[in-house]
Amino acid sequence: MEFVLDTLNYFSVLMLVVLGLVVIFGLMNVINMAHGEFILIGAYTVVAVTSAGGSFWLALVIGSLVAGLAGLLVELLVVRHIYTRFIDTILATWGVSLVLKQTVIVIFGPTGQSVQNPLPGVMNVFGVEYPRMRILIIGMAFGLTVVLYLALFSSRLGLKLRAVIANRDMASTLGLNTRRMDMASFSLGAGLAGFAGALMSPMISVDPQLGVGFLIPSFLSILLGGLNSLLGPILGVGAISGSTNLIAGWLSQADTQVIVFLLAILVIRLFPEGILKRRQK
Amino acid sequence: MKSKRRGLYATVAAWVALGILGLLFDGWLLSQMAIYFCYGMFAMGLSLIWGQAGILSFGQAIFFGAGAYGFALVTLNKIPGLGVSVAMGFVVAIVLATALAAVIASLTFAARGLSGAHFAIVTLCAAVVVETATTRSDYLGGYNGLFGIPPLSWNGTMIGDHALYYLMLSITLLAFLSVVAIIRSPYGTLLEAIRDNEHRVRHLGYVPHHLKSAAFILAGALSGLAGALFAAQFGFVSPSLLGFALSTQVLVWVAVGGRAVPMAAMLGALVVPGAENMLSNVLGDVWLLVIGVLFVAVVVAARGGVFGNLLRLPLPQRLRE
Repeated sequence: MEFVLDTLNYFSVLMLVVLGLVVIFGLMNVINMAHGEFILIGAYTVVAVTSAGGSFWLALVIGSLVAGLAGLLVELLVVRHIYTRFIDTILATWGVSLVLKQTVIVIFGPTGQSVQNPLPGVMNVFGVEYPRMRILIIGMAFGLTVVLYLALFSSRLGLKLRAVIANRDMASTLGLNTRRMDMASFSLGAGLAGFAGALMSPMISVDPQLGVGFLIPSFLSILLGGLNSLLGPILGVGAISGSTNLIAGWLSQADTQVIVFLLAILVIRLFPEGILKRRQK
Repeated sequence: MKSKRRGLYATVAAWVALGILGLLFDGWLLSQMAIYFCYGMFAMGLSLIWGQAGILSFGQAIFFGAGAYGFALVTLNKIPGLGVSVAMGFVVAIVLATALAAVIASLTFAARGLSGAHFAIVTLCAAVVVETATTRSDYLGGYNGLFGIPPLSWNGTMIGDHALYYLMLSITLLAFLSVVAIIRSPYGTLLEAIRDNEHRVRHLGYVPHHLKSAAFILAGALSGLAGALFAAQFGFVSPSLLGFALSTQVLVWVAVGGRAVPMAAMLGALVVPGAENMLSNVLGDVWLLVIGVLFVAVVVAARGGVFGNLLRLPLPQRLRE
């Protein structure tokens, strides 16, 4: 049971991160290498707000908003100029990630910070004592995923978003403001990453290298699952988090990482669908 | 006509300036500058595949690190039966880097091949995998790396600072001339065509994945040589030499310098980390911030980079109207 909960926990955190990436990639066809740094912004906002005396829950809201705002700025200053140049978006967003990370280092210093756990203690789940904060993270991730998918499939805004994803030019001809949708989705994606970072900040050491650690597993999840259906990324996240926790049961963390990444590369090589398929349209 | 020659004059002037620099400095600073030539060669390898052939690799440090580790293993006598000679060290370094590049090329370019984005992310993962695996290997020294690589010597005496600087300058010049010769050859023109439209090149009867693999392997070999020279001067190799961080740093140097012009890429690799090293800790962090902004600006607005337009050589004779 504890294994299931641990897997669920990693799955949830990764899912929160991947949701933001999927929104941005699906709509704008931009591979956002700076995604990890929006996680960083969320986490460091919590550090700043709580050390200034604010409550964690307030910091959670502010963290998501600050990351969303940063996302909007990045979209306006960088991404909108190059979103038709696919490879350059990888590089430019990588540059943005360097800039954001370096800004955090200049402001907060290179060492790790910690955030006090707002929900200490354990609770009994199916006969296992499990930290309450982790339960909250799992609940939030599932709730948010459901909300996002409902919004995408049964609201007017979701309909418009899907129209732009399906055929950008046609949607634009029909009077949808695709520029505004781009801005909105980029800052929504960044805000989701910020929320993820803020939410998990009490469980981890908040340091400037935090974003990079999430970047590779989340991209592998997307490449594994493919983006042809909206279920793809969820499957990818499940595959990565499940295999990671499974192998971590009897090997060290470093060995686990090596094996999971190698397996993922192998699968991506054998089934290079997902991104490729959308690109060839 | 005169403006077309400008790049040639500027390139020659830059090499002369690098030669004069060796006379102005000595001691520690000069030996630091000699080490940066390794980064310069490494950057030219990336310029060959990225600037010329459009292959965006996030894992070039794998080959640099393989060269460094290969050289270290031989000179520390950790490979039985090969002896401890420096020459054998260079051979093993280059063979190891070339072989790794060949393996990665055959896995990624063959058949339909991976698209640009897939290739970038797969090479990124590969760099992380190699780095992590190295930290787990006792034979390779784990986290601490390998110490005590003997410095380069000639007939039993250590090579002095000035001699070492000019030795590195000459090797780098040779590497530069080789890369330029490849880029200006008909093969180089084909690589450029692949960068612009791989599909058309295929329909003209060429096999793009062979041409790309060859470029990738050549760049790998050059990176291996650079890594071996780095290990020989630095005296110490660690897992960070073949990982994620160095792989992405070299991308930044090359982009800021000018990706399509080897000389510009090389100067980027001398100036960016050089300045970072000279500045104090706080200023160094700010400098990295500035470089990050410059990198984004170059990618968005100025593909030529800072030095690219100045140092662009005139077209080869056969391509002129």
